[in-house]
Amino acid sequence: MDISREQAKDSLEQIDAISARTRRAIASSCDSALLIIWGLIWIAAFIGTHFFLAWVWFIWLGLCAIGAAATFLVVRRQFRQANPIRMPADKRIGQRIFWFWALLFVYAFVWLSILKPHHGIQVNAFLCTAIMFAYVVIGIWSETRYMLWLGLAVTGTTLIGFYLIPPSYYCLWMAPTAGGALLGTGLYIRLRWR
Amino acid sequence: MAQLDNIIHQPVRLQIMSSLVALDSGEQVDFVHLRKILKLTDGNLGAHLARLEEAGYIKTDKTFIARKPRTFVNVTGKGRDAFQDHTAALKQIIESPQK
Repeated sequence: MDISREQAKDSLEQIDAISARTRRAIASSCDSALLIIWGLIWIAAFIGTHFFLAWVWFIWLGLCAIGAAATFLVVRRQFRQANPIRMPADKRIGQRIFWFWALLFVYAFVWLSILKPHHGIQVNAFLCTAIMFAYVVIGIWSETRYMLWLGLAVTGTTLIGFYLIPPSYYCLWMAPTAGGALLGTGLYIRLRWR
Repeated sequence: MAQLDNIIHQPVRLQIMSSLVALDSGEQVDFVHLRKILKLTDGNLGAHLARLEEAGYIKTDKTFIARKPRTFVNVTGKGRDAFQDHTAALKQIIESPQK
């Protein structure tokens, strides 16, 4: 088959345009919305904890309740809109991911009750790394690379915060590095092909 | 040297393959959504998908979601390889010295 240089150039331009259009569909998937929501919640909770330490439980429980409600609404909206892009085993994987998260939190609180940490930072670092452990496992499981790398990166920043940053600055360190990483990844997914 | 692929080179099929290859490996796109992206009719898209499936370049998966029939389409490994060869051939044509 012989085609001219102009025809080849037109074909390649067409390929780029269609690829960009398709990728915009991915950008509207709920993953990015959930990461943005939880990134903002973590940032607000860490900053709130730094400045209003006495209210730490109210801050975290209140913001996590808002996050859980927002997550429910986003997932429900996603399901109703019938996401145009899916993984082959979406439903099965979705159910497994839900139960994995539920069990992770049950076990995390069981472990906390056994270990009885002495300091709030220990509780926080434990829960952050437990949540990031879930990201890593889900990333490997569902072959979602950004989940794997995000989980490893935030685990790293949490360990740096726990071992190397003075305790009084722990929350200020975690707000941008942990919450910011979630928010940044969500925004990156949403905006990368716009 | 990479060769142009007769099946992929057809304009509508080139659009379909461009769209499917843009997805991550394993991701599937809904037929209706693909039709909207490419601005095609049901019949036109269906006919070209059938041709690509016959060549082993794509796979369709018919299923029910919330009691509604849905068709999802994804590119196969063979299709991805063929598309890469095709784009490589297009680039070679552009880069080749003019006669």
